[in-house]
Amino acid sequence: MSEISAKPVLTQPRRRIPWSTIIIYALLLIGAIVVLYPFIYMLMNSVKPGREILHQPTSLPSEITFSGYTGVFERLNMGLLFRNSLILAISITVLNTLLSSLAAYAIAKIPFPGRNFIFSFMLATMMIPGILFLIPTYVLMFNLGWVGQYHALIVPAAVTVFNIFLLRQFMVTIPNEVVEAGRLDGANELTIFLRIIMPLARPALATVAILNFMASWNDFFGPLLYLNTPDKWTVQLGLLQFQSSVPGENAQQIWAATTLVTLPLVLIFFLLQDQFMKAFANVTFK
Amino acid sequence: MANVTVAERRPPDTTGTRRGLSLWQNMHRHFWGYVFIAPWVVLYIVFGLYPLVLSFYLTFFDYSFVAPESRAFVGVGNWLKGILDPLFWKSLFNIVYNQAIFIVLKNGLGLLTAVLVFRATWGGRIFRTIYFLPVLTSTMVLMIVGGYLASPTGPVQSMLVNAGITDGPVFWTFNRWLPMPILALINTWKWFGISFVILLAGLYSISPDLYDAASIDGAGEWASFRYITLPQLRPQLFFLLVVDIINGLQMFTEVFALFDLYGGADNQALTPVLYLYAQAFDRSNMGYASTLGLLLAILIGVITVLQFRFVSAGSD
Repeated sequence: MSEISAKPVLTQPRRRIPWSTIIIYALLLIGAIVVLYPFIYMLMNSVKPGREILHQPTSLPSEITFSGYTGVFERLNMGLLFRNSLILAISITVLNTLLSSLAAYAIAKIPFPGRNFIFSFMLATMMIPGILFLIPTYVLMFNLGWVGQYHALIVPAAVTVFNIFLLRQFMVTIPNEVVEAGRLDGANELTIFLRIIMPLARPALATVAILNFMASWNDFFGPLLYLNTPDKWTVQLGLLQFQSSVPGENAQQIWAATTLVTLPLVLIFFLLQDQFMKAFANVTFK
Repeated sequence: MANVTVAERRPPDTTGTRRGLSLWQNMHRHFWGYVFIAPWVVLYIVFGLYPLVLSFYLTFFDYSFVAPESRAFVGVGNWLKGILDPLFWKSLFNIVYNQAIFIVLKNGLGLLTAVLVFRATWGGRIFRTIYFLPVLTSTMVLMIVGGYLASPTGPVQSMLVNAGITDGPVFWTFNRWLPMPILALINTWKWFGISFVILLAGLYSISPDLYDAASIDGAGEWASFRYITLPQLRPQLFFLLVVDIINGLQMFTEVFALFDLYGGADNQALTPVLYLYAQAFDRSNMGYASTLGLLLAILIGVITVLQFRFVSAGSD
């Protein structure tokens, strides 16, 4: 910035690209290559014959084969794993987005007694490391007879403080007059929430929904603890099983599997990436 | 602490004090408020407060959930055992070794890429998308892909050998000192995008007037980075540090995927949570595992409180 303003304007008939710009783009490009390399590698290996993956790890495939993709559906029952992961991810996303936004609306717009205390308490719980809950929650689930069932993962995730916080920060910016107008029309709070708040809070709702879906789809530890029968396994547990059991000659199958597991999130990300970015921007303790 | 200031900074509340609402209407609204908040309250009591109390209770017992009738009271035995357990200390050392490298690399690269994208006049959106992609991968996929890329016969090691940097294949998973830095590198690839996005948003919120004033005063690139950019990004960097430490000290899936339950023959990749998992589900020592969880949580809590103290002392 300062270099450009310091240069005399008339002495330059053709603008030369400044060195700093060249360095910036060179570094950005190197960064992009390093970031994309594993993705490209994953895609390439998913269509490369297994023998070449083992013996010529850096070479391009000599032929394109889709036996990895067909093999993974036969060997791993990919359809079942996808179904199980979707059941979990969709249940948690729908429940959590709805219940978290109800709580966020109450905290943002309904001044019930005790509200400030509950909100401060919620924020304090965000500082507690999750590891503390691991063993006692497992004991609790075991005693409830929930181990091995989906609701051991769905119920505790049905409403979470971080999402309430994110939604509340957004709902506070909705003018009170909008809510008051609804109240004067005689609408009850549930109607106001569904008819007025939900449409206005759409960007925040989309963000929370994406975060929920991503967390649940990628979760490994939860399913590892609670889903102990193969018919309930998720894609992430399937990958673990696969990683240790796939013979070298069929190495392309594991790359097809990792590609398939990553694909849904990448697609959702490309569709909704601006919302996605907002989820992470402006998060500080300020 | 931070949570208190958030509550205090709430704008003055005007919704409840309107004259148009009767007592009955107010009570009606309060009723809905309690209904909306109830799911969280109930779930937090059952899956938050109750487990916390149970966790503390369990630390005083030798308890296996497969044979609950054989439960024996051991007093502070588990606590003493945990504090004196060399494997627990080794796991703590390993995770600190790992996180010290990871946190510096992840946030350093996040800051560098954020500054570069901020300075780029075109194409910023493309790079922003690319740099965020690794965040989407699951840890399991990350470990399969990263583990393969870094394997002795994998492409990265072939390149290193061809470039003459290493003499031959390095079996790093069996080495005492290599697993933690290499896992930190792999995790940096996955996570720097979070730092990048948060810091980039922070850069856009810095007033350009500050830079203008500095350049009038003759400040160079480095000086304005050192004296304007870095101090202005302090809230973001602080947030990242606190969250990284809370999450990072609880690393599990990465080592679980590549090593056995005790982190290899030399325990070179044993982390506290992996050790806790092994105690709970391999040895069936629920009481002892609970104690290890509490010890780790206390450690994380102390570090977090110290960070907040340090920052509030520094900003006065």
